[in-house]
Amino acid sequence: MSLNDLIFLLPELILLLAAAAIFILDLIGRRPDDPDTLMRPAKPWLSYVALGGLAAAALGLLPGVGQTRQVAAMLAADPFAIFFKALAILGVALVIAAALPYMRTRTPYVGEFYALLLVSAAAICLVVSAANLIMLYLAMEFLSITSYVLAGYFREDRKSGEAAIKYFLYGATASAVMLYGMSLLYGATGTTDLAGIAQALGQRGRADLLWLGGPAIILLLVGFGFKASLVPFHQWAPDTYEGAPTPVTAFLSTASKAAGFAILIRVFLSALPDLQPLWVALLALVSVLTMTLGNLTAIRQTNIKRMLAFSSIAQAGYILIGVAAVAAESGATAGPFDGINGVLIYLFAYLVTNVGAFAVVIAVENRSGKVEIKDYAGLIRRAPWLAVALFIFLLSLAGIPPTAGFVGKLFVFGAAVRAAMIPLAVIGALNVVVSAFYYLNVVRVMFFVPPEPDAEPVVVARPLQATVLLTGALTLLIGLLPGWLIQWADQSVRLLAWR
Amino acid sequence: MEQLFFILLALLTLSAALMVVTTRNLLHAAFWLILVFFGIAGFFILLHAEFLAVVQVLIYIGAISTLIIFAIMLTRRIMDPQQPRFNSQWGLVGGLAALLFVVLAAVTTRVAWPTTSATLPAEPIKQLGADFVGVYAVPFEVASVLLVVAMIGAIIIARERG
Amino acid sequence: MVPLTWYLVLAAALFAIGMFGVLARKNAVAVLMGVELMLNAVNINLLAFWRYTALGELVGHAFAVFVITVAAAEAAVGVALFIAVYRQRDTVNVEELDAMKG
Repeated sequence: MSLNDLIFLLPELILLLAAAAIFILDLIGRRPDDPDTLMRPAKPWLSYVALGGLAAAALGLLPGVGQTRQVAAMLAADPFAIFFKALAILGVALVIAAALPYMRTRTPYVGEFYALLLVSAAAICLVVSAANLIMLYLAMEFLSITSYVLAGYFREDRKSGEAAIKYFLYGATASAVMLYGMSLLYGATGTTDLAGIAQALGQRGRADLLWLGGPAIILLLVGFGFKASLVPFHQWAPDTYEGAPTPVTAFLSTASKAAGFAILIRVFLSALPDLQPLWVALLALVSVLTMTLGNLTAIRQTNIKRMLAFSSIAQAGYILIGVAAVAAESGATAGPFDGINGVLIYLFAYLVTNVGAFAVVIAVENRSGKVEIKDYAGLIRRAPWLAVALFIFLLSLAGIPPTAGFVGKLFVFGAAVRAAMIPLAVIGALNVVVSAFYYLNVVRVMFFVPPEPDAEPVVVARPLQATVLLTGALTLLIGLLPGWLIQWADQSVRLLAWR
Repeated sequence: MEQLFFILLALLTLSAALMVVTTRNLLHAAFWLILVFFGIAGFFILLHAEFLAVVQVLIYIGAISTLIIFAIMLTRRIMDPQQPRFNSQWGLVGGLAALLFVVLAAVTTRVAWPTTSATLPAEPIKQLGADFVGVYAVPFEVASVLLVVAMIGAIIIARERG
Repeated sequence: MVPLTWYLVLAAALFAIGMFGVLARKNAVAVLMGVELMLNAVNINLLAFWRYTALGELVGHAFAVFVITVAAAEAAVGVALFIAVYRQRDTVNVEELDAMKG
């Protein structure tokens, strides 16, 4: 690796340095012999250090824009990676702003919390640019281990601990299974480089390729599907999403999930192109299972975090349609419904929408400690702006225009139609109809059910207001003027060693 | 001779592994696990990966087993012999595990794995060291940051309050 | 010399035993021990493939070192979580962790 390569690692380096700075700044003024200073609430300005670090990391992306090359032997610097890095940085920034008042009243270790979120943003940046199985495994474990800690952050809380243990046990098992698949690929090709694997597999006989490729794809999908919460590797998700601190749930269901999709796309496209018919069939099946099971279970939920958890599983199913419908030909000849560009548009739209929805949940929970859907009765009178914002987010999750979610669904369903996968598109459309019931049920409760007599107005802290405002504005902006996002996504469908 | 040694070591390792997953007393299971780790180190030596055998003993037996035994001691009730070993679906799970073995074994015997004509590097440890600061520089750094973050995280979660 | 497939079948057996432990055991620490068996099976695969198919470069070696490193970090965080939950609940039995349902 040369010094020139370091410029492509700027975002990761800045994020890790900012995290280290927060760890140290947080300790200043605390003395181990004096428990009072240890338990003192963290300095509130640390969150602005974190946001500053994220802004600097976003600037650090600029030198890599437009380039497509291998960096430091292990990483890909390509527009695809840049898109996901930007997504991760935006997602974590929104989550930190939303977490500000919520965390302060619930744990004395707020500084470490922001630092760990920055570390996980760095981990996502590494995951989405890994071009080698070794790098990929390390980066995914980096993200997972940080996430286990974040999920279990409220150590005195029963649900948080349970959420973390379930996440940990499923995650450790899923990564061991994924590793077994990686070891088979290494054995068959003698390399762990994604492009090298594709090259070596291309020289194999058809029958031999199937004996090796079938098991390898399934084993790898266990690891990727765990991160993206695809059925049947989703069992951890409902409990972990419900039990984890709400800002962590917002992070896990958006930025972390996006990392799972990024790596699934990169590995399947650039290392296993010869097995495309096989993984397309498998992903189409998983997509149907994921959206159907997610939606049918979401209908029955009474806890809004748990409902959004199953909704988030269902959304992963829609996103997977775009991967299954990936065009074999290059973007220019495939037309606007390339498949992968739909996935990118969808993930961006879904990230701003879902973080926004969880920001409203945080606002209500922070005021009242309540997370049941019935606690949202009459929200329109107690906090009109929050209710309107949540209305927009729920419309977007249901895919109703003029919101961001509609644009995302248009592009993934369009790709399914272009790829002549009509049954997949039809099942997706049916699922959208089913999902509208439970999303609009929350709207009904907020707007038309009178509030409890003792329900107080919801007061929202400023940083949280900013998150709700920004995500709400973006959700509408993408819905009304999607041009810039579509163009950006089209340009980002450029991966190292693909096509 | 080497084949006989392999078979004996494999029998020892696999039966120890079976004890790990079936023994009622978890502390005993942890000791069987240490035996498995030693067996694996033996295979590494058979494969001429002596450095890995040392790493295996140092980290798996020195660090990970110790952690697991700590966990067992600190959560005493789980050593209670009255506790059921398995959950209710263990019969089904056993069948699934056997099926998994049959499938994986079939795959590994059916695929034509490539063969190598290369010879063992003269000083593999030297080359490995050079690789860690060369090709694997980024993963190496990520691994070190990962260890620091895991340590901080473990302290945040497990530290006694006040 | 021992054929490559012997090692691969051994690894498959160890992996399946570990998977049984993960799925059948009730105690979280016992589940973690199952995961460790699975990781060891992967390491046998990696080194056997290195020895028999790609001796020239030490890819399998390096991969196995990273797997062991990550396993240590993972075990540290896992054990911390077990201890924290044991303090609240007096149990780390996976089936008794049922605060959430639905």
